[in-house]
Amino acid sequence: MKPSPGLVDRSEVSEADVEAALDARDPSERDLCVLLSPAAERFLERMAGRAAMLTRAHFGRTVSLYVPLYLSDYCSGGCVYCGFAADRKQARHRLEADQIVAEMDAVRAMGFEEILLLTGERTPMADYGYLRGAVREAAARFAAVTVEAFPMTTEEYRGLAEAGCVGVTLYQETYDPERYAQLHRWGPKRDYAGRLEAPERVLAGGMRQVGLGALLGISDPVPDALCLYRHVKHLGRRYWQAGITVSFPRVCAQPGGYTPAFPVSERYLAQIIFAFRICLPDVPLVLSTREGARFRDGIAGIGISKMSAGSRTTVGGYRVHSESPDGQFHVNDPRGVEEVCAALRTKGLEPVFKNWDRTYRG
Amino acid sequence: MTMATTFMLGGVAFESRLLVGTGKFSSREVMVEAIRASGASLVTVALRRFNVGRESDDLLGPLQKLGVTVVPNTSGARNAMEAVRAAMLGRELSGSRFVKVEIHPNPHHLMPDPLETYEACKALAKEGFAVLPYMPADPVLAKRLEDVGCAAVMPLGSAIGTGHGLATAEMLRLILEDSQVPVIVDAGLRAPSEAAAALEMGCGAVLVNSAIAAAGDPVAMAAAFAAAVKAGYAARQAGLMTRRHAAVATSPLTSFLNTGNG
Repeated sequence: MKPSPGLVDRSEVSEADVEAALDARDPSERDLCVLLSPAAERFLERMAGRAAMLTRAHFGRTVSLYVPLYLSDYCSGGCVYCGFAADRKQARHRLEADQIVAEMDAVRAMGFEEILLLTGERTPMADYGYLRGAVREAAARFAAVTVEAFPMTTEEYRGLAEAGCVGVTLYQETYDPERYAQLHRWGPKRDYAGRLEAPERVLAGGMRQVGLGALLGISDPVPDALCLYRHVKHLGRRYWQAGITVSFPRVCAQPGGYTPAFPVSERYLAQIIFAFRICLPDVPLVLSTREGARFRDGIAGIGISKMSAGSRTTVGGYRVHSESPDGQFHVNDPRGVEEVCAALRTKGLEPVFKNWDRTYRG
Repeated sequence: MTMATTFMLGGVAFESRLLVGTGKFSSREVMVEAIRASGASLVTVALRRFNVGRESDDLLGPLQKLGVTVVPNTSGARNAMEAVRAAMLGRELSGSRFVKVEIHPNPHHLMPDPLETYEACKALAKEGFAVLPYMPADPVLAKRLEDVGCAAVMPLGSAIGTGHGLATAEMLRLILEDSQVPVIVDAGLRAPSEAAAALEMGCGAVLVNSAIAAAGDPVAMAAAFAAAVKAGYAARQAGLMTRRHAAVATSPLTSFLNTGNG
């Protein structure tokens, strides 16, 4: 998607434009573009200041914690950048019913009350029925259950909600259709529009939350960020009760050998996060353990209001196959939960494990 | 405590007219210290932050130890049915008959849903709760909620977390004019002076969370709010000087009427 007429050419943004964006009462999508421009790099500290103020006002001095649980790494997808792509020659695993329970008990024991269940693209080994069964098990154990899997039909999403799922995370990866086609080589994930419209089906199916994101590094981040912002706004208008979250997954060199075509530096990642906080002040912004401890500790509470911790990105990584080395992505913050909590507390932030209650499940 | 300063709510006398919320604090220790400094007798806590199984993540436990009256709130509910369910569970876990009904279906701006709030309050009042509804600053809704048996009404000063103060002052005046239950301004306050202004207007109390929890020094800010609420209430009791809207000319303008012959 190309920026619309009227939006700025990032190379022509002036310092005065950045000042105006930083001072805007209700920053617009034009302001977002300005804050993502090279001219805004010099204003990073001031962006952080406004972002921190807004994060504190809307989310307080707290950071919500969740834990990912990989159910299966079978995948029909051919994503160039992913460690689980179908052409990677690696042993595949799927958690069986008893193993699902064992893994869930392991993360429960770590204190988590919000769990994110993950699979690859739809395969017979990890299909809808399998996922729904796992949601049921999780709902019996956790206050909040969310899912990051393959795009589904509205009815399927409704079924997951009935099983106790409160939200779905589904990244478009890139909003650029041409780039998307190059990166997703085969399988159902080639359906760009089907994926793009899935968050609407999530909400139409009665789910409360939907998590959006673009995979930073695989395409030009500025148009992707703008489209992501528009996606948030669009869903908010169409589904006024929707809880929308935004994540900032940054792809790094992968076990399969992928090198990001549009590398995003740590500094620029911070700039993107600050820009989103300034332009979407009340949207929870989420960061995973793809990022390292120093960055995560630094940006917690400044822009980020929700994080994973103690994560394993391998199937069975918490108890069943805890020695397995290759995950979907490399965990750059390998600290245990207690260590992450201690670091947050040192910053004057309270880690919150339970921020939901199953009584709201219906 | 003298009768003159007592705050009557749901048939119970409370010493403080400052209610505080418990979200957004940097730690449970700071929360407890801030509540102490605020002198609040009524403290609201979201049911979703009850974590009975994990003491270090639980907000209910420390409040019970503190000896304040816990007011569970239903934040997270998007309709009356969910709020009623949450209220029941909150009462069971906390033992408190007070409930703050919070139904804000849009999780971003957190504006209260008047229709669902009304239905939930009607049901909960019948169940014997002392119902405190977080509501839009709507004078008609306030009377409707009073009619179904709410113990107070809690109109918002401005949107939660915004710190825009008493943006709804004109509507609050209309609510205050007719209300037979205490009016508690909830949400939007930033500065103690705004809390004082609410009490001066005639509000029975104010509820503050973000302004304390997000302040540079939450404990000191809690004490500042306590002082402001006392000052505002004392001013109200003392009888504020009438604000004059009419101009008074230094020389009489109508004297010419007295000098004529006719």
